[in-house]
Amino acid sequence: MVDDGPIISARNVDFFYGSFHALKGINLDMAKNEVTALIGPSGCGKSTFLKLLNRMNDFVPGARLSGEILISGRSVYGPDSDPVSIRRLVGMVFQRPNPFPKSIYDNICYGPRLVGVKKKCDLDIVVEKALLAAALWEDVKDKLGKSALELSGGQQQRVCIARALALNPDILLMDEPTSALDPIATAKVEEWIKSAGLSIVIVTHNMQQAARVSDHTAFFYMGELVEFGPTMEIFTRPREVRTENYITGRFG
Amino acid sequence: MSPEAVLLKPKLSPTEHGARLFFLACAVVALGQMFLIMLFLFKESLGLFTSGTSLKEFFFSVNWYPTYDSPEFGSLALVVGSLTVTFFSTVLAAPIGLSLAVFLACLAGRTTREWVKPAVEMMAGIPSVVLGFVGLVVVAPLMQDILDIPTGLNVLNASVILALMAVPSIASLGEDALSAVPGEIQDASYALGATKWETIWRITVPAAMSGLSTAVILGLGRALGETLVVLMVAGGAAQIPHSIFDSVRPLTATLAAEMGETAIDSPHYHALFALGTILFLLTLAFNLLAYWLGRYWRRR
Repeated sequence: MVDDGPIISARNVDFFYGSFHALKGINLDMAKNEVTALIGPSGCGKSTFLKLLNRMNDFVPGARLSGEILISGRSVYGPDSDPVSIRRLVGMVFQRPNPFPKSIYDNICYGPRLVGVKKKCDLDIVVEKALLAAALWEDVKDKLGKSALELSGGQQQRVCIARALALNPDILLMDEPTSALDPIATAKVEEWIKSAGLSIVIVTHNMQQAARVSDHTAFFYMGELVEFGPTMEIFTRPREVRTENYITGRFG
Repeated sequence: MSPEAVLLKPKLSPTEHGARLFFLACAVVALGQMFLIMLFLFKESLGLFTSGTSLKEFFFSVNWYPTYDSPEFGSLALVVGSLTVTFFSTVLAAPIGLSLAVFLACLAGRTTREWVKPAVEMMAGIPSVVLGFVGLVVVAPLMQDILDIPTGLNVLNASVILALMAVPSIASLGEDALSAVPGEIQDASYALGATKWETIWRITVPAAMSGLSTAVILGLGRALGETLVVLMVAGGAAQIPHSIFDSVRPLTATLAAEMGETAIDSPHYHALFALGTILFLLTLAFNLLAYWLGRYWRRR
């Protein structure tokens, strides 16, 4: 594993839902500790691609894949890789906040407990670190025993971020993480994404958001990766007409 | 001058108003019915205590000799009989019913579920007399042979048959509760590297706990109120059982067997109503327990 190599690389990835060709020949390298935004109209394959990275498409009946995806040099779909260990390496935050109906503390500890961390003192450290990293510690440090469902939507989403971070993932996937949040909560989550210094892949419908938070942007259209490059370039001088039409709002 | 505050109230059209009254009347009738049944039960029970049986004797004596020259009306053996078969049938039915619920909701494939769920629900529709008959002619002789006991009509037989009746309703209600757990939190669990088992035990089952406990208690309530099966296979002896191979005479069986044989307004007649009152209160207690447990788990 080369340290400066891409953290994610996709090689000739084709993906099918039954007979539907959802992704066509995707080739993509994402750099470490950068934020990569996946944009494109509904049904373009951006969420499908995101879910390939932590094998969440395994649950879809009739899903088929060809090509190769490497994360930190490890093959995600290789013969000796299993979804469980991939998912410990690649955290995910979903479209709607989905905390477990448990206390804030137990939410954060869920992942670490699965990998066998049991001692209270170890877990306490994990919880504080994860909540600090998700910029939620100050809000909740006095009510860790309270149900996560009693928090506001924005705080719930940050609990979900902290829950994913508690496993120290190499990469964090975010599937439209602010689409269910109000503007203030959205701003807080965006601020967090920018300052996290982690390898983050974010799917978003909101092009301003992509422009604000990401270093690189990939534009998907009808299952193809149309254009991939530095966010500044994609938004100021796209090479492809389809990209330009999309980001200027002519379709989508 | 500030304007007067006006009370805002939706205006109902005459049809809406009529519909409202109709549904209100239905609710009142249902409540009234309930109240009158209770009143009737209590009133008819009172006759027992004005005819020489003390409350203490009724609740704490194990002697149920209603047809003796000086009859005795102690309900304890009957209550214990009811509770014993209810307890053992629940012990048998809850694990099986809940496992079936987990299998149907979380493990079975679509096709399997489409076949097994209706089959399970159909089992709930088997008339109790059929199951009682099975207990009488199949289970009882089998038990007698295999275990070498004097009678196959006993606590164990009744519990097994009652469990057969409770399993489908526990499984069906339990499956509903498990299926109602949002897929989103199960996805979250998988995304954190949990296996299928870990997700079921740590997320799905705890999140469905409210519905699962209600399912078990309702199954338990069904066993408590079931009459025909216990009448046929519990043996009918009014005694405190010392083992699961002893015969018992549950409340429901006593009522069903004796109500037709008593003279109206005799002490025996009133005593049977008093048994009915106990049964009513026990059922009420189980329903309250189901309600309370459901709320307890929802709050957590």
